[in-house]
Amino acid sequence: MLELELEVVRDGFTLEVQLSLARGPTALVGPNGAGKSTLLRAILGAVPVRRGRIVLERRTLLDTSRGLSLPTEERRVAWVPQEYALFPHLSVLENITFGTPGRAGLAHAGVVMDQLGLGPLASRKPGALSGGERQKVALARALAAEPRALLLDEPLAALDADTREATRVLLADTLRRLAIPSLVVTHEIRDVLALAGPVVLLEAGRIRSAGALDVFRASPPSEFARSLVTPRAGGV
Amino acid sequence: MSERAPSRLLALFPALAALLLLGVLAIPLVALVLSTAPADLVAGLRHPLALSALRLSLLTTSLSLGLTLLLGTPLAWWMARHPGPAERVAATLVQLPIVVPPAVSGLALLLAFGRRGLLGPLLDQAGWALPFTTAAVVLAELFVSAPFYVQSAVAAFRRLDEDLLWAAGSLGAGPARRFFRVALPLSRPGVVTGAALSWARALGEFGATLMFAGNLQGRTQTLPLAIYSALETDLRPAKALSILMVAVALAVLGLLGRGTVLEAVRART
Repeated sequence: MLELELEVVRDGFTLEVQLSLARGPTALVGPNGAGKSTLLRAILGAVPVRRGRIVLERRTLLDTSRGLSLPTEERRVAWVPQEYALFPHLSVLENITFGTPGRAGLAHAGVVMDQLGLGPLASRKPGALSGGERQKVALARALAAEPRALLLDEPLAALDADTREATRVLLADTLRRLAIPSLVVTHEIRDVLALAGPVVLLEAGRIRSAGALDVFRASPPSEFARSLVTPRAGGV
Repeated sequence: MSERAPSRLLALFPALAALLLLGVLAIPLVALVLSTAPADLVAGLRHPLALSALRLSLLTTSLSLGLTLLLGTPLAWWMARHPGPAERVAATLVQLPIVVPPAVSGLALLLAFGRRGLLGPLLDQAGWALPFTTAAVVLAELFVSAPFYVQSAVAAFRRLDEDLLWAAGSLGAGPARRFFRVALPLSRPGVVTGAALSWARALGEFGATLMFAGNLQGRTQTLPLAIYSALETDLRPAKALSILMVAVALAVLGLLGRGTVLEAVRART
C-alpha cells in the first residue's frame, strides 16, 4: 500500500493529491499539464513537497509535519522516466545491476534479464539499442533494484506502434506479477485496459476520480475521460 | 579597370590578414627551433639549471594539479548545482585570476600570505613562512591555474541530464555513488580538458611565482624562471627548455584534441 497526501507548489502550479494505491498497477491519466509527472517526482523526492505525507508499506517516506523526508536513495521507489534515463556510459548489464551491486545482485539481475529476454544484449550500450529494448532495460533496471513501489512515466510513449503493442502486454504482465504498488502514467486507453487495474484521473493538479477501471469506462467522470475512453474517429 | 584593382585587393584582404597573423604566431616558434642545434639541445637539457628546474616544475605542478582537483571538483559541483547569488560571487572569484595580470596576482599573494601580509601573523604563529619557498610556488600555481579547471568542470557538470542522477538515486545510489558512477564519468571530457589546461597554465606560470616565491634555483626556480635566468648566462638551457615547453604544449593540445573528439563520440553511443 502506498498512501499519499501531498501539496506541491511549483512555478505557480499547485498539485494537491490524496491517494491510496493498492499493490499492483494503477493507471494515472489526465490532460497535459495536469501534474502527472510532478506527482511521480514528488513521490520520488525530486521536487519539494510543501505539505504532506508519503507512507509506503507502513514505512513513512515523508512527513512534513515532523520535518521528515527520506532522501531518494532510501525510499526504495524505482522510477522510469519518459526517456528512460539509462546510463549511456554503462552496458545493459551494468545498468541493470546498478541498483544491486555484488554477486547476489548479479544473479538477481540475470533472472530479471531472462524474464524480459535481455540476455543477448548484456554487453551493449544503451545507444546501440532499439526503443523497445531500451524500454525493457529501463524496466529491468528498476525491477532488479527490488523496489517497494514503481513509478513509470509514459513507459510506452517513445515506442513505435508495433513495438508498443508487444511491450504493452509484457509490461502489464510484469507489473501484475510484481506485488508492489506501481503507478503508470499514460495517454492511451489501451495501456489502461492492459494494466486492468484502478484508474486515477488527475486534472489541473487535483484528483478528479480514482477507482475501478469498469466504472471509469462506464461513466467517464470528465470531458477528458470521455475522450480517452471513446475511440477517436479514424483511430485504430 | 581602375576600379577592379582595389576591389581585387579588398577581396584578397581576409586571406592576407589571416596569413599575416599565422606568420606572427608561427615565426617565433620556427626561430626558436631553427636557432637550436641538436647538440645545443642536448647540452642545454643537461645543464644543472635545466635539470633542477625540470624537477621542481614537475613536483610543483603535480602538487598544484592535485590540489586543484581535490578542492576544485567539489567547488565546481556545488557551483553547477546551486545557481544563485552565492554561486555568482564564486564564479566571479573563479574568473578573476584568469583576467588579472600575473604580477598583480603575485603582489596580492604576497600581501595575503607574506610575513607582513593579512594572514602573515597567523602563519607566523603556526611556524609557517610561505614566501620564497616551494610551497609558495605551489600556491601561486594553484591561484592562477585552478580557475581553468573549475570553469571547465562547472560547464561539464551543468550539461549533465538531471534525470540520470534522480534515476540513480531511485536505484538506491547515494550522493557519492551518483557522483563517481554517473556524474563524473559522463563529465569526463570537460573535466579532463579543464585539468590539462589548468596543468599547462601552472607549468607556464611566471609572474606570480617570481613575485611571491622568488627565483631560487632548486627551491622556487621553475622552468619559466630558469629560462629567464639562463638568458643572462648561457642561452643553451634557455632554448632547450623553451623547446621542451613547446613540445609539452603541443602534447597537451594533441591530448585534448584527440580526447575531446573521442569522448564526444563515445558519449553519444
